[in-house]
Amino acid sequence: MTAAAVASTEAIRERVLDARSRRTALRIAGRGGWLDAGRPVVATEVLSARELAGITQYVPGDLTLTARAATTLDEIRQATAAHGQWLALDPFGSGDGTIGATLATASAGPLATFFGGPRDLALGVEFVTGDGVLARGGGRVVKNVAGFDLTRLMTGSWGTLAVITEVTLRLHARPEGDETFAIGLDDAASDMDKLSALLAQLPSMPFACEVVNDTLAAKLGGSGAAAIVRIGGNAESVRAQRLSFARFGELADVEPSVWTELRGCEPAGAMVFRLSGPRAEIGQVWRDALEIAAACPGTLLHARPARAMARCIVPAGGAATAALRDAFVRAPAGRRIGERLPADLWSVCSPSPAADRISRGIKARFDPAGILNPGIFGELS
Amino acid sequence: MLRQSSELLAYTADALPSYHQQPSLAVFPGTRDETIAVVRELARTKTPFVPRGAGTGLSGGALADGVVLIGLNRLNRVLSIDVANRLAVVEPGVVNVALTRAVTAHGLHYAPDPSSQAACTIGGNVAENAGGPHCLKYGVTTNHIVALTVLLPDGEVVKLGDASGEREGYDLVGAFVGSEGCFGIALEITVRLSPNPEVIRTLLADFMTVDAAARAVSDIVATGIVPAALEMIDQGTIRAVESSIYAAGYPTDAAAALLIELDGALAGVEHDVATVDALCKRSGARTVRVARDETERTKLWQGRKKAFGAMGRVSSHLVVQDAVVPRTKLPEVLASIQQIGERHRVRVCNVFHAGDGNLHPNVPYNGADADETARVHEAMGEIMRACIAAGGTISGEHGVGFDKMPYMALIFSPDSLATMCSVREVFDPDRRSNPGKVVPVHACREWHGTPAVRRPEGT
Repeated sequence: MTAAAVASTEAIRERVLDARSRRTALRIAGRGGWLDAGRPVVATEVLSARELAGITQYVPGDLTLTARAATTLDEIRQATAAHGQWLALDPFGSGDGTIGATLATASAGPLATFFGGPRDLALGVEFVTGDGVLARGGGRVVKNVAGFDLTRLMTGSWGTLAVITEVTLRLHARPEGDETFAIGLDDAASDMDKLSALLAQLPSMPFACEVVNDTLAAKLGGSGAAAIVRIGGNAESVRAQRLSFARFGELADVEPSVWTELRGCEPAGAMVFRLSGPRAEIGQVWRDALEIAAACPGTLLHARPARAMARCIVPAGGAATAALRDAFVRAPAGRRIGERLPADLWSVCSPSPAADRISRGIKARFDPAGILNPGIFGELS
Repeated sequence: MLRQSSELLAYTADALPSYHQQPSLAVFPGTRDETIAVVRELARTKTPFVPRGAGTGLSGGALADGVVLIGLNRLNRVLSIDVANRLAVVEPGVVNVALTRAVTAHGLHYAPDPSSQAACTIGGNVAENAGGPHCLKYGVTTNHIVALTVLLPDGEVVKLGDASGEREGYDLVGAFVGSEGCFGIALEITVRLSPNPEVIRTLLADFMTVDAAARAVSDIVATGIVPAALEMIDQGTIRAVESSIYAAGYPTDAAAALLIELDGALAGVEHDVATVDALCKRSGARTVRVARDETERTKLWQGRKKAFGAMGRVSSHLVVQDAVVPRTKLPEVLASIQQIGERHRVRVCNVFHAGDGNLHPNVPYNGADADETARVHEAMGEIMRACIAAGGTISGEHGVGFDKMPYMALIFSPDSLATMCSVREVFDPDRRSNPGKVVPVHACREWHGTPAVRRPEGT
């Protein structure tokens, strides 16, 4: 594939129009860190927005920030930290990931427990459609119902409707206290139900609460399955939250760097997917994930009980791929979302999420020539 | 079904008194199946229609100009409450506060709380992506809708979203919420329920200048404390409220008051109350009063939530405006609004969601006075342009409807408007659902050859 980075919105528009006129499919990339995620894309050229980077507007008092698509999460973190603020989004991967890709893939990490995901934090978006139309949805203010909601339509559309060029986000002020601790779990399977029940009763949600299986715990420097919890608030609130969790087990303080390690725990080439269910069924979701881990040795698991989601990271290998295929075929696909899988596992992992009439209609309007990331939603299969 | 002019009179306007349009007929289906049958018949005859909830909208969004009005307020059943998963499934005509009442016993509530919550419907809230004072902390309607069963204008029923786990693919729930009735009718709405906070503290701080109150807002937001609500009420509004049956005990000599609510876990809230109290005083608050009990708290909120109603005593007509500005621009924009009001000799009263920068400049006026009416509309246009110039938007929660359409081209390029039209066309290719709203037709390039839609006979 050929790649040429473009530095301006206008240049992106020209590239898209050119590709459309030649009926040439484009693989949309930010900094290219997540190109192996999603269903296989059939494209001969890469449209890299790598050069389209930088924060274009940041007024700390407004708690909003506008950045061009390829601005890295690290750059946003540094700029906002200087003012005691943060963008509460920590998708998996490194801080080198871009805000455009985060929004396009609707990627969220542990902080989603408290802060929600990209759909809750995005305020506005500028993009170039597959027809080369430069458009904008939302705005730069924290509340906005002017016009139809193009911002949420772009969030999670995986570059199939448009190339995102700029994003406006809601920021949060950093709290007075921000602490991380781990609680060991005696029985990984049954303790999940108890933890979920505890979370449902808490008067305030922790910023993050991720349960890791023993394999992942060992990789993070611990021993045995554990819940890693991050709490925030004023001193009095932090103290009370610690007491609530202490009812569940002994708290061991952990360096906050554990979150960076967790985000970057995936071995190269690993197969990654998520299981989820209704909130009250996290116990079952977790047991399903443990079953897969038992069938595929070396599997790293972490679960977010508040969102009833478990993420499975299966090391690559012939035997594991076969075992995973068996597991996928056995279980219903409804609650399974693939992140990174070998090409032949996608069709058994989950059906195309864009096969319904409305999704197909929207795709046809935004990208009539079908040149943007074809295949990533399985529409070609 | 209503056909007579006299019967239809009640349906010629929503809560915005400036516009009146007469529907050709109004139909009020009593069940989901009747609604589907009505919409299918309208599809067969290519007849345009306007869905309507309780008619409490403030943008003229439910006006029906010679087309069929479908009243959804009889579809008012709470279909299921799932306490363990904190979800409820409701029909579109369920009244906002009725849902909260239905789940109170479980320690839960439905978070979006527009001022009209005692009357407005969840279906209407979904259409408008409604907000409310407590959206500052808890988010607007779109943050609380999990799944929808939608009746498309062609009569097909589709399911958007999924309450049984994470979902990938286009966020069609996100696209539908706030589509102002242009994408179809939500027949079943799955909402997220929120746990009631352990403790709620409500403060009233009063200031001798609007500027000082606006600065206190910025200071509070900057601390990282996210109040459940942070509302500003100016002198004009205070006086209207205090001379009405909704008198809340606001000091009538203050230039502005802030109604601030802090909630959450018992541990930590008192500390935040002390911080907010100190910040208000540092910004020049004359007094800061904390409601001692639920009765006092309810009274303080009653004044705020019924402020629009209280202004009804002041004059026959009222423009309720809705715009949002970046929070740091509040002092500057409030000063501009004051000047614009003086220049046009109209009385602007501000009562609004200061924490979000969501302004509601209201102008009471005499609609029978043509000169005053003209000045009011002139001032409103200028206020909107001032908000846009400050980097803001034309609606934070009321929607575009009919009233705000002329402003759309001031904030969106023709290409952006055309892109919005293209999404609408996917849901409603004939453009029969709530025709002539949200995006001006001329912005929809491909629409110049408007498909032939039949008006019902006799119109």
